[in-house]
Amino acid sequence: MKQIIVIAEIFQGLIRPVTWELAGTALRIAELEADSKYLVNDRGKGQNDKKKNIRRQKKSGNIQLQKELKSRIRIIVPGEDPLPVAEKIAEHTSMDVICLKIKGLETYDCDAYKTCLFRVISEMDVVSHVLIAHTSQGRDFGFGLGVKLNAASISGVNSIFSDDDGLVYSRAVYGNEKNMMIRPAPDIPVVLTIMPGMFRDNIMNNLNNRTMEKGKITVCEIPFNGSYPLKKTKPVSDTGVDTDSAEVENIHVKGKLCQKSTAYPCQFASRIIHGQILRKACGNKALKGAKIIVSAGRGIGEKDGLKEIFEFAECFSSSAVGASRPLVDMGWIGYDHQVGITGAEVSPRLYIACGISGSSQHIAGMKGSEIVVSINKNPDAPIFRHSDICIIADVHEFIKEFLKQR
Amino acid sequence: MRILVCIKQINDNGDMNRFDEFALEEALKIKEKAEKQQQTPGNSVSVDVITAGKSNSFKIIRRAFGMGADSGFLIVLKTKEKATEYIPPFTIASLLSAVADKMHYDLILTGIMSQDMMHGQTGPMLAELLNFPCATGVTKIRFPVKNNFIQVERELENGFIECLEIKLPALLTIQAGINIPRYPSLSNLLAAEQKTIMTRKETDIFPHRGGVKEFYVSIETPEKTRDGLVLEGDLAGRVNQLLNFFKKHDLN
Ligand SMILES: Cc1cc2nc3c(=O)[nH]c(=O)nc-3n(C[C@H](O)[C@H](O)[C@H](O)COP(=O)(O)OP(=O)(O)OC[C@H]3O[C@@H](n4cnc5c(N)ncnc54)[C@H](O)[C@@H]3O)c2cc1C
Ligand SMILES: Nc1ncnc2c1ncn2[C@@H]1O[C@H](COP(=O)(O)O)[C@@H](O)[C@H]1O
Repeated sequence: MKQIIVIAEIFQGLIRPVTWELAGTALRIAELEADSKYLVNDRGKGQNDKKKNIRRQKKSGNIQLQKELKSRIRIIVPGEDPLPVAEKIAEHTSMDVICLKIKGLETYDCDAYKTCLFRVISEMDVVSHVLIAHTSQGRDFGFGLGVKLNAASISGVNSIFSDDDGLVYSRAVYGNEKNMMIRPAPDIPVVLTIMPGMFRDNIMNNLNNRTMEKGKITVCEIPFNGSYPLKKTKPVSDTGVDTDSAEVENIHVKGKLCQKSTAYPCQFASRIIHGQILRKACGNKALKGAKIIVSAGRGIGEKDGLKEIFEFAECFSSSAVGASRPLVDMGWIGYDHQVGITGAEVSPRLYIACGISGSSQHIAGMKGSEIVVSINKNPDAPIFRHSDICIIADVHEFIKEFLKQR
Repeated sequence: MRILVCIKQINDNGDMNRFDEFALEEALKIKEKAEKQQQTPGNSVSVDVITAGKSNSFKIIRRAFGMGADSGFLIVLKTKEKATEYIPPFTIASLLSAVADKMHYDLILTGIMSQDMMHGQTGPMLAELLNFPCATGVTKIRFPVKNNFIQVERELENGFIECLEIKLPALLTIQAGINIPRYPSLSNLLAAEQKTIMTRKETDIFPHRGGVKEFYVSIETPEKTRDGLVLEGDLAGRVNQLLNFFKKHDLN
């Protein structure tokens, strides 16, 4: 049975909640695959009674079925001494956990993660999926790991579907205006980075089942200066015969040398030196407590446009001004006004988005608002999909008229 | 120090991926700092750009010249001119690596993601193919380089920042807001007319695009998470509707 691997996200020794979402997504994948295989059977393309059984058991919500599905899943918990967190994860998910002890790893390190995870995963039986969070950490090591594993690699997955030919993964493109469906090639592993917040419901349904027993824990220790086989990473074409392709092969000479000297980990010990982790001073208390937030995006055109936004906000008694990231990046307004995944997460009674397109990174910060009103001149702006009231208009004209009538 | 910036053209007008403007600006700033510190010899910096795209992607290279880039590489992709053609980031990374590897760069910069495809994969994959260490989401670069390590800060979630030193040669993906990108200057643009763009065909580098590991299926409009009542009527009427709505819900 092909294994689904989840890489737990650990930050400063703590389990990031996105880990539960990854576990839930893994379960969803196992379910979908069991289901779609059944569907194939149903159409007479093949017969497999065991698969049918899975289907029937699922209907009755059988714990036995959950157990069977979960048996495909392994959660890898990397860290210097991750046993305590590994225990917690095994208990909470009732899935099997690999406690990956990387001696000397004081903090997250891209090279150490890639090398050690590659080693562990490539030594396992057939792996079909590797699930990683689409976060600053996951995006840092996930795709390099994908290259090492010779895997397909799909980033920012926000939904999963199945059809006759297997699973299809949806990801946002064009500033969140569309979703693109991607299918990995069959019979190779696929690395997926999963958009946080997209699979939350699923985890609620599946993980809060307290009657299930704790998952098994396997401890796997990799010393910091050990030797790891470094698999040759191939660029896209391995069929080329001309001189250029031959030169491309040279890239890997370095890799081969490493393999011979069997000292690759020494390299990661010295390639990245970790300093402090700091927290940007952020006094976004005003945003957090505000009943009403009026937020500005690039659609306000220029810095002066902010004046209107402040005037607009003053129409309400308990209000604050928010902004999308580009405004902060351009220095138009302070970081403490930024709403989104790298800014503040807000949940006011009313959120008014003025000239904001609605990127997933922005939505993540304001989707908890009670009522969302959006003003945008583009009728297809993604923000309208996340709004209660949509106003297709020029933001300046609309605010001017609002100030006049109020 | 030799710097390469990977840039992507996002439309037929030659517009640069917004995130790549930050990467190119950062490279140019390093070059300018080096020029100021020229007392110390061996500090000179060159900034090359590279793009893989349709044949009209020379436009973006010209734009980069206009900002101040020294040389430019264009890899002409074998596209089918289908709007939906999906080119896996690994394909792009492989092509970029084939050219970059021969040029022995000390530092490669990419944007944090492309505006249109939003993978965020090309940079880290390129680093892996070249066996460079890599850091993503960089919001600060300190120059000069000390003992062959470059000091950077990368952005995490919730306002956290991680300080790192990374050994050259290295690849960094640059987060928006690290600087304020300049506009191409007229004098640079005029000078750029004389420059040649080093052009290679994808098929010269890889005769067959093998090893493609994932495929385009379809493009769809995502589902709504809220109902989205669209206000109709003239501007005054719509403002009036909104005011009534606020009144009804006690939002004042
Ligand atoms: C790792 C990472 C983290 C990020 N974190 C954040 C974050 O925390 N917060 C955040 O906001 N972004 C974040 N971003 C950036 C995000 O991807 C988008 O680039 C950004 O949210 C877009 O801001 P915007 O909507 O203001 O600009 P745009 O996307 O440019 O949208 C402008 C909108 O204004 C409309 N418009 C233009 N003119 C008018 C007019 N006259 N009247 C009305 N409407 C008009 C346009 O139709 C368009 O929809 C992050 C990106 C990355 C890669
Ligand atoms: N076709 C391309 N040519 C050159 N660089 C690219 C190309 N596509 C992506 N990049 C670089 O890789 C970064 C991330 O792109 P993506 O992986 O598509 O999100 C971009 O910001 C560019 O710096």
